[in-house]
Amino acid sequence: MENHTINVPGAEEFARPRSRRDFFKSLAVAGAGATAASLLLSKQASAKTDDVDIANFALTLEYLEADFYAMALDADVLSGDALGVVENLADHEAQHVDALKGLLDSVGATPVEKPNFTFPTDAFSSQASILDLAATFEPVGVGAYLGAAPLISSPDILAAAGSIAGVEGEHVVALNWLLGIVPYANEAFPKAMTLDEVSAAVAPFMGGKMLSTGGPKLSPEERYRLNQAYRLGQL
Amino acid sequence: MSEVESCIPLGMDREVSRRNFLKTAAWTGAAFSALGIGGFGVAVRRAEAQGEYKTYEGLGDAAILQFAYQLELLEGTFYAEGVNAGLFKDAFLEQIVAIRDHEMAHADAIATTLEQLGAEVPATPQFTFPNGTFGDAATFLELAATFEPVGIGAYQGAAPALKSKNILASAISIHNAECQHRCAINILNLITPPNNLAFEEALPLQKVQEAVKPFGITG
Repeated sequence: MENHTINVPGAEEFARPRSRRDFFKSLAVAGAGATAASLLLSKQASAKTDDVDIANFALTLEYLEADFYAMALDADVLSGDALGVVENLADHEAQHVDALKGLLDSVGATPVEKPNFTFPTDAFSSQASILDLAATFEPVGVGAYLGAAPLISSPDILAAAGSIAGVEGEHVVALNWLLGIVPYANEAFPKAMTLDEVSAAVAPFMGGKMLSTGGPKLSPEERYRLNQAYRLGQL
Repeated sequence: MSEVESCIPLGMDREVSRRNFLKTAAWTGAAFSALGIGGFGVAVRRAEAQGEYKTYEGLGDAAILQFAYQLELLEGTFYAEGVNAGLFKDAFLEQIVAIRDHEMAHADAIATTLEQLGAEVPATPQFTFPNGTFGDAATFLELAATFEPVGIGAYQGAAPALKSKNILASAISIHNAECQHRCAINILNLITPPNNLAFEEALPLQKVQEAVKPFGITG
């Protein structure tokens, strides 16, 4: 069942990614860029490694948001309440980037590099266009963290993810306020997203590349084998 | 609201929250190092180990949910009384009504889960609120602004202690709703910008218990 809303906690209806393999499926088929695919193929991915992948995945999203808001401020088209909100958005996302990099560093993992993001040509032309795009980013951030949270093994990384996810939720509300959406906080159960959904939402900004988790790069042969396996329904 | 005020953690500034996050991050480094995945400065980091979730670990999922259920009822009752008192209109009223409905939906969902677990759904406590809470909008909103961080801190603290991943998935969603409420209450309190935290803060169980005890939750 395709379910984008959490209705009843603990019920079987959570059509969320039920396994790490589900969650990382779209990374595996992505092709371009580094992926976690070889880990999937080898079935040797440890829980700890998956936590690192998830943290790097989150870092990529935070890079995207931080870049977007920094460019939005540079565009110099914001004023009043919108300026104040976006200044904080830029600040928060930059802090999330720092925190996730620090977290990865502290466990001896390598934070992914910041990709080159692409934004629509008119993305920064007006306050309205900035707020519209921001309002599409933030629920994706929430959904990604909520979708990934049950897959995280380390309670400490989970606590950190929850802390950041909540802030992304606040961002949704602040943007609703600026956009005149009433009530500002209007979800009893904010939605989790699968990685496929998150990847589809951010693909237009990734310059043709899918999200990187910092895993080993696939050789052309590996990629071919993987894609064949998917085509044949073996994965 | 003097007697209550002293028990409730008031607004948390960004620096405090960031510091706690980094503390968590540092602790994570220690945990990973202990597992042999690298990292450095293990001894130093372990000395800083805090981990609010540890205070929830002995409870088990059902007891955590029973406590959360009472917190939701407290919040839902508070907002319902606020609506009934006629303190708000227009967008403000719509927001308070929405939050009331969210809290009640959370309570219902938790009760359903408790039933599925075969655990007892607690009786509704006899809630008490400070005199004048529902006398004017400002007093009400002041208390609302203290309630939401307690709910946030409770869920964020308890989440990593939950055994069931399904329950965790819903708890983290409810946590997010509470964070959204915090921001919405900031808007109603005319705090600009309302999104004024970079990291949400977890609370240890004892802090939450202390905060809600004056309102009638003694469990």
